[in-house]
Amino acid sequence: MTSITEDLSSSGPKIVLPGDILPGPESGLLDDAPTAPVIKLGPGLQPMDDDTIAAVKAGVLKHAAVGNRWWVESNQRRYVAATGESIIGVVIGKSADYYKLDIGAAQPALLGVLSFEGATKRNKPDHKVGALLYCRVSMANKDMEAELECFNPTTGKADGYGELKAGFVFKTSLGLARRLLDPKTLVLRLLGQHVPFETAVGMNGKVWINSAKPAHTILICNAVKNSEFLGAEECRSMVKSLVEKL
Amino acid sequence: MGGSSVLCSVVGPTEVKIRDEQLDKATVEVVARPLVGLPSVKDKAREQNIRETLEPILLSGLHPRTLIQIVVQTMKDDGCILSTAFNATILALLDAGIPLKSILGSVTCIIDAQSNEILLDPTTEELAQAKSTHVFVFDNKSSIANNEDIMDQEELLANVLFSDSTGSFSEEEYFECSRVCFKAAQAVHGFIRTAVEKKLQKEYQQQE
Repeated sequence: MTSITEDLSSSGPKIVLPGDILPGPESGLLDDAPTAPVIKLGPGLQPMDDDTIAAVKAGVLKHAAVGNRWWVESNQRRYVAATGESIIGVVIGKSADYYKLDIGAAQPALLGVLSFEGATKRNKPDHKVGALLYCRVSMANKDMEAELECFNPTTGKADGYGELKAGFVFKTSLGLARRLLDPKTLVLRLLGQHVPFETAVGMNGKVWINSAKPAHTILICNAVKNSEFLGAEECRSMVKSLVEKL
Repeated sequence: MGGSSVLCSVVGPTEVKIRDEQLDKATVEVVARPLVGLPSVKDKAREQNIRETLEPILLSGLHPRTLIQIVVQTMKDDGCILSTAFNATILALLDAGIPLKSILGSVTCIIDAQSNEILLDPTTEELAQAKSTHVFVFDNKSSIANNEDIMDQEELLANVLFSDSTGSFSEEEYFECSRVCFKAAQAVHGFIRTAVEKKLQKEYQQQE
């Protein structure tokens, strides 16, 4: 228990490894949070057999006072579907009721042929095998294949989901994809100053890019992939040198 | 470790063959490969050792009907290859983000035939002169609990995940070895922690 408390008292990100135990209420570390009787556990934390809560993944321990939520932010390359996440999938098969999509998880995901904006039994979009779809995970369960949808169920509108035409897709780590979704991301802002492009980022690590010229697409793709382990200053010079070569 | 090095890759959770599918948990497959030639009986034994040690600490129930494949490729063998393989595997599992109950650290020691001294991390040359060889694996739960220096023998052994000994030795010698290895395993755990911290710092430097 000592290792984690030391991390918490020191400033900077709190790094946890599998087996590190979350401090209990008696440690006084939760005083800033409203001592809600309920703790919500996010990814990377699991209750253990002996009633303690321990990390199961290596990453940075995060805490939100709202709802007393705790989670571990970790990075990996394999996607595990979770409800509500936006992802990019490739159609790999089609049956009467479902499209089968490769989303980079252990099993292919299912997308109902009617889960599109304004789709009816008579009138529904037809997607060929190999098409790229930007969709939302509507149901994810560890024992079943994930289910997807291409519209917002509350409004019935597409909300930007649907087929991604033209463009180029490449794979990144899940941690990088999460960072790219942040509108303040440095690498995308820097690239936007030099070349115009469209992008869609899936939480499953798939990134779609559409730009005017293939050369631009290659540049953007390389810059994004390179940026993962670079600092702000290194990132600036990396983008600069790539743009100069163009 | 020392002159030995092992390359380890982890793939998973991924699709599993119907034949190997388990409805309530992930299937763990370990493949050990020698530097040259076909896998021998020794490699098969190593596969089984690693798989049986990892299965209790892997939370395989979180990914039912999937496969977690671990490939252990020997790059250079200069003694204590099993310990090196264990430590490489745990680092690869951490990097792949596979849910784990705890982390482990492995240490090999020998008892020298002439001097009767305990030697840590032996080379192939030293292994040849050993009276007995011991491989230990400890989890990091124990390193937290034992900070107050409770070096009780029974408690010590409760945290051993794996132990393999060859040669002739007495009971006292065995416990002395386990105590020495336990201390050395703390260094291994510390190394794993710094390795992970370094990698995460690289990832987070843009956000500050």
